[in-house]
Amino acid sequence: MTGSTFIFYMLAALTLVSGFLSVTSRQIFRAAIYLLFSLLGIAGLYFWMQYEFIAAVQIVVYVGGITVLIIFSIFLTQQAGELLAVQKAGRKLFAALASFCAFGITMLQVYQHSFINAADNNVMEASVTNIGTQMLSTTQGGYALPFELVSILLLAALIGCIVIAMRLKPVNQ
Amino acid sequence: MWSLSGITNWVDQWLNATFNPTLTLIIEMVIVGVCVISLFAVLGLVLVIMERKVSAWMQIRLGPNRVGPKGMLQSFADTLKLLVKEGFTPNGADKFLFNLAPYLAIIVAMLLMAPIAFAKDFHMWNLNIGVLYVSAVSSISVISILMAGWASNNKYSLMGAMRSGAQIVSYELSAGLAILTIVVLTGSLNLNDIIQSQANGWWIFKGHIPAIIAFVIFIIAVTAETNRAPFDLAEAESELTAGFHTEYSGMKFALFFLAEYVNVFIVCAIGATLFLGGWMPFHIGNWQSFNHVMDFIPSSIWFMGKTFFLIFLIMWFRWTFPRLRIDQLLNLEWKYLLPISMFNILLVTAVAILGWHF
Amino acid sequence: MFIVKYIKNVFSAIKSLLVGMRRTGYYFTHHKEIITQQYPDNRETLVLPERFKGEVVMPHNENNEHRCTGCTACELACPNGTIKVITKFDITPEGKKKKAIDKLVYHLELCTLCNLCVIACPSDAIVMAQTFEHSVFDRNKLTKVLNNPDSKIMDGVE
Repeated sequence: MTGSTFIFYMLAALTLVSGFLSVTSRQIFRAAIYLLFSLLGIAGLYFWMQYEFIAAVQIVVYVGGITVLIIFSIFLTQQAGELLAVQKAGRKLFAALASFCAFGITMLQVYQHSFINAADNNVMEASVTNIGTQMLSTTQGGYALPFELVSILLLAALIGCIVIAMRLKPVNQ
Repeated sequence: MWSLSGITNWVDQWLNATFNPTLTLIIEMVIVGVCVISLFAVLGLVLVIMERKVSAWMQIRLGPNRVGPKGMLQSFADTLKLLVKEGFTPNGADKFLFNLAPYLAIIVAMLLMAPIAFAKDFHMWNLNIGVLYVSAVSSISVISILMAGWASNNKYSLMGAMRSGAQIVSYELSAGLAILTIVVLTGSLNLNDIIQSQANGWWIFKGHIPAIIAFVIFIIAVTAETNRAPFDLAEAESELTAGFHTEYSGMKFALFFLAEYVNVFIVCAIGATLFLGGWMPFHIGNWQSFNHVMDFIPSSIWFMGKTFFLIFLIMWFRWTFPRLRIDQLLNLEWKYLLPISMFNILLVTAVAILGWHF
Repeated sequence: MFIVKYIKNVFSAIKSLLVGMRRTGYYFTHHKEIITQQYPDNRETLVLPERFKGEVVMPHNENNEHRCTGCTACELACPNGTIKVITKFDITPEGKKKKAIDKLVYHLELCTLCNLCVIACPSDAIVMAQTFEHSVFDRNKLTKVLNNPDSKIMDGVE
């Protein structure tokens, strides 16, 4: 086993163990922190594959954004410090079955999919310049339309937030 | 000429000649780790005494003057005291997270050291997304503060953590946009490319008004991100005793304290790299002899000089301005810094496209 | 207009911040302004400001005479009962009885150094001294008698 493989297994173990703990922990704040470590493990995998840009984006979006949001909502929730109730055995079984089915489908897909071998094909280098160009290109395989659609979605979400947060002036009778 | 990169190359060659590649890699990692930890220790000692002296002189006081010559060994005494003090975990605290939080803070500070170029060809990791990496990893530091605040089981800690979360999440935006200004001008996220692009002049001089606006916004935003006065609402001694580290004592407190100072060093190093040319010497146009004299100063001295100048600036802020209220803080970010930096991005894009910069 | 006010706001804020920074920068570079007194070291040369109020004393002249008539104005003026005037009756050479102080007891441990007794005194018999190293191991030592033993009232003070 080379050092690289060893690092991969360490990162995978971190991701899986903290993911499992995040599901089984009965303290909600700890669950959020375990989720954070799971997401960091995935970012570590991206760094391991030398996709630094994706890894950094993973950290910015999931760690800096989503986890902080989750922790904030835990802080603002009443009785967030209490232990969560133990679920019924039937529910546990169902949840385990559902996650196992999802795992099975993913693995099936992974085994059936014919991956392109990165070593013999001219795979585009994942530099930031390339990603940026690809994101705004309108040619074959360009992502300009999805990019614009997503930005419209985000704009709509922004406007929605402002409308919800806006304090309307009381209407004079 | 004497240079740090020469030493690292020599060490690398010697190790490669003596051991096999895997062992060399491990030994080099150990060396780098030891260097980073000793740099942390030195930075902690130097910055604490610097802060105390600067604050004293700005408040017409003498400052520490008993331990060692002119009180310069005061921080050794402080460190010794913190080392031998009991690390106390309060009752009702979430012990695991309470003990994890300071280590997370210091690990984040260590990770942030990786892409910084300390001298010419002297850095740990020549990362092609250096700037993005720094702003991504620094967003983890807020988690350690939130963790400490929650796990302490103390109302002051929790409030401090909430405030600091709101503050860091909002000021990250304008810090990011200020960094983006220089990225637009350079066209690269790599810190070494950014330094190379300043060979004929630092960005603060050749970037016209947008670079200056970005520099001011960057300094304000990073002061807020490192939780220092006038943005120290997370600690706010007069309101929250000590905010998120109220319950910490001994070495765990020292780790938080050290992480704060190291974070100040890191953001100042990034600021010096982006705006003041990193290790690039100061050159003026065609004054050949002047430029030659400037070249003679080692690049590490240039880098440290610029970084410590920015650290001094941030300390100057701390000991001049009173603390903001939370609503003033958020107003400043969302009503002033963010719109101005967005406008600034547009301006700098125009400057970069039209080639108005030098 | 909104935008003009906004820009004005920004610039006036920056200006006021720079004013503050100029002040602290001035202090940073001018070490002669430092006002710290390194107290136990400079005990010999320490100069206290004139208005400093350390404790109440009663000055006596070289003939062991003071100016206190025993009118108890200070005792009445004191807000927390620090001063207790114990009077006696002297026999003057003419054979008349005259009121005078036996002891002027001063409780330093109760005194807030408010200066009201000194203001109240009609004959300027008591003043505030500049001493300040009052700590002792026994509380009784803080109860002082201000007039010297066998002291007399100065001639001409009524």
